Amino acid sequence: MKSYLLASLTILLVCCYVGTVFAADSDAGDMEMLVFPENYKAMAVNDGGTISGVVKFEGDVPEKKALEITKDEKVCGADEKFDESLVVGEGNALKNTIVYLIDISAGKDFDKDAKVEIDQKGCKFTPHIQIVPIGARLTMLNSDKIMHNVHIFSKINKPVNKAQPKARRKMPLKAVKKAEGPVEVKCDVHGWMSAWISYVPHPYFAVTNEKGEFTLENVPAGEYKLGYWHEACGTNSKAPVAVTVEAAGTVTQDFTLKLK
Amino acid sequence: MRIRTVALLIILFGMLVVLSLTYAQNAPEASEKGKQVYENSCAHCHGVEGRGDGSAAENLLPKPRDFTRGLYKIRSTETGQLPTDQDLFDIITEGMPGSSMPPWETALSANDRWEVTAYIKTFYDGFKEAETPPKQISLSGKVANSEQSVETGKALYSELGCVECHGNIGRGDGTSAPDLTDEWGDQSWPANLTQGWNFRGGSDTEDIFKRFVGGLAGSAMPAFEGDSFPGFGLTAEESSRMIELDNKDEMTEAEEEESAQLYEKYDAAVDIALNLAEGTELSAEEKQIYDDAMKVVYEKSWHLANYVKSLMPEKRPEPAIGNNVLRSQYVQGELPEMDDAAWGTLEASYFPLVGQVVIEPRQFNPTVDAVNVKSYYSDTEVAFLFIWDDRTHTTDETDEETGKILEDALAVQFPVKVPQGPTAPKPYFLWGGRLPVYLWHWKASAPEQVTELTAKGISNAEVQEAQGELKAQGTYTEGQYKLWVKRALKTDDKKDLQLDPGVFVPIAFSAWDGANGDVDTKRVMTSWYTFVLEPVPSSKRFVYPPLIALLSVGFLFGLRAFVQRRNSEEV
Repeated sequence: MKSYLLASLTILLVCCYVGTVFAADSDAGDMEMLVFPENYKAMAVNDGGTISGVVKFEGDVPEKKALEITKDEKVCGADEKFDESLVVGEGNALKNTIVYLIDISAGKDFDKDAKVEIDQKGCKFTPHIQIVPIGARLTMLNSDKIMHNVHIFSKINKPVNKAQPKARRKMPLKAVKKAEGPVEVKCDVHGWMSAWISYVPHPYFAVTNEKGEFTLENVPAGEYKLGYWHEACGTNSKAPVAVTVEAAGTVTQDFTLKLK
Repeated sequence: MRIRTVALLIILFGMLVVLSLTYAQNAPEASEKGKQVYENSCAHCHGVEGRGDGSAAENLLPKPRDFTRGLYKIRSTETGQLPTDQDLFDIITEGMPGSSMPPWETALSANDRWEVTAYIKTFYDGFKEAETPPKQISLSGKVANSEQSVETGKALYSELGCVECHGNIGRGDGTSAPDLTDEWGDQSWPANLTQGWNFRGGSDTEDIFKRFVGGLAGSAMPAFEGDSFPGFGLTAEESSRMIELDNKDEMTEAEEEESAQLYEKYDAAVDIALNLAEGTELSAEEKQIYDDAMKVVYEKSWHLANYVKSLMPEKRPEPAIGNNVLRSQYVQGELPEMDDAAWGTLEASYFPLVGQVVIEPRQFNPTVDAVNVKSYYSDTEVAFLFIWDDRTHTTDETDEETGKILEDALAVQFPVKVPQGPTAPKPYFLWGGRLPVYLWHWKASAPEQVTELTAKGISNAEVQEAQGELKAQGTYTEGQYKLWVKRALKTDDKKDLQLDPGVFVPIAFSAWDGANGDVDTKRVMTSWYTFVLEPVPSSKRFVYPPLIALLSVGFLFGLRAFVQRRNSEEV
């Protein structure tokens, strides 16, 4: 009898111990995050240079995945919707890649007039990738006149889970203080809706367009590490590309990404 | 040999104690007592480091709370605030109904619960960094429950979109219900608002108000903080007008201007609320606007809480034992069909269901609360109405892991032979064993069909060769199944149960919620209960008692006459 007791106690302890060992390793997911400088100072930039390029996709382009519209068909199902985690255009151009400077500590200020918005239209977030300056309010628009629910899965900042009832056309969200990202934005009401935002401390972030193009303007002359992040292709944050920007010069840096 | 094994185990045990102590030295500093209580009573589920990843966590849903992110569902504090110590203490004391978190009121002393409260707070730095105590939700403006308040709340329930997840009448069956996940990506079912006894944190109107206003941090339930209300900053009349104008296909110029003005006021109030949330000092004027706006929001929230409270019975129904045994009522002639109003006059018997955890695969996280049953019988037949809530109507989902078809179903279990007398053995409650059971098996994909089974064990059921003439009709509306079944009291099949009035018959249930992964032994069920065809009081009651009374009276008169005669003779 006693041995049973001891055996079960031992097993229990083994379980707990093994549990803690595994728990200690669970931070590995952070590899996919963007890297931000610890401090950033906004200043006037004279004779800034430009970094531009094209991001292309390499490999077999998977067939477009149509999204299953399970409710509010009238509003959401008016046109066919596709999964936007991998959007490859003509000439293998890769849309929705974030290209950014990893190690810049001083440079231009944010464009204070720029609108930081994501629209919910036809039960789809537009744009799919949005850059949100820290201290700025992200405004969620609701063009659908149906209920949406903005759920931002932040881990460093407080997660946002805020209902946007049908009568709520425009919903600005509280500005956050800490850089973080990318984090996914979902709508709990329409499970297929997905977008990604990054809360960033400096303005040297670009998102590639349909042609895979990006431009970072007004970069102070100097040497930088250039990083990218793509939802389906991952990031080079741990091994970024070095670029040298000359005063008023232009540097071209293209990327070719594969599925991660 | 045995002694050696024991010795080995003791050594192993000792080593593990040493190892775990070494490990424990890395844990944050807190009271040694709290840590000890935590590691003995909480860590198996919540993990030694409070990440909600203890060894038992894998099988649980809702998952044990991850304490490292400071997100707590059950709080008395405003949106985005940490819980108070009392909040944490209360949850430990009372547990979380409908989840695997038990109440610790008797297992841990109050002192230990306070110690462990302090220790849990060490897992999240926010508690230490907080400069001011969390702001508590004010309950001072409580709106009394009235018909009108409930009506207003009902309108808000629809306007704010509660129906999307909680369903039209609150059974947790909204169209978005199956897709919801919590902050950790785990499935998060919306509450069935008609079952207050499953509410974590209580189901008093005040509790509902606090959950709604403060939000259930970490769950899929969004926070309805002030500016979530359309027309924040407007009076109730103004916001109704704003929405009314919004819904017009075309507005006149005057209406457009009116709408624009309302929006301007609304946007300004939202701006003030955000400024406050971001830590900006408000001017006295702004503070006034904010306070007025919040007063309207809180008032609306009380209406909503009153409405939600109106959706549930005052308390959980009593299970069908003792005086509540399922009694089939006698009717003459034809038994009522499914939609007959006669069913409405019967009180249902309540059979709470629990997860089947004896045999693999098990169900640790049941989603079906109970099955409610009513019954009528006639001289030749018996009819049952089974009613149970299920958030989703699932008929042909495929389980990703096993490839099995998942669908909603119900099984009603009887012994093949009714045990003679209360002490006679019943078949094993898990679908029989040495003594077989007789089953009715109904599936949502074939709602007009009940299959008769004979089983000698949970995985040893056979479809009966001779299927009797059972009539069945099943419907699913607003998150609720209704199944009507009719059968003859007596059949020719020896494998069938034969029914006689006045005989107490064991009855048990199994239910499957396909959307919750229920299939085969993974299900919810009851153990044996009892039902009886309530015997009809004999019609002879109108004959014998008056007859006996008459005879007694006659006898007394006779006796009187006899005594009187004797007395007169004596004189």
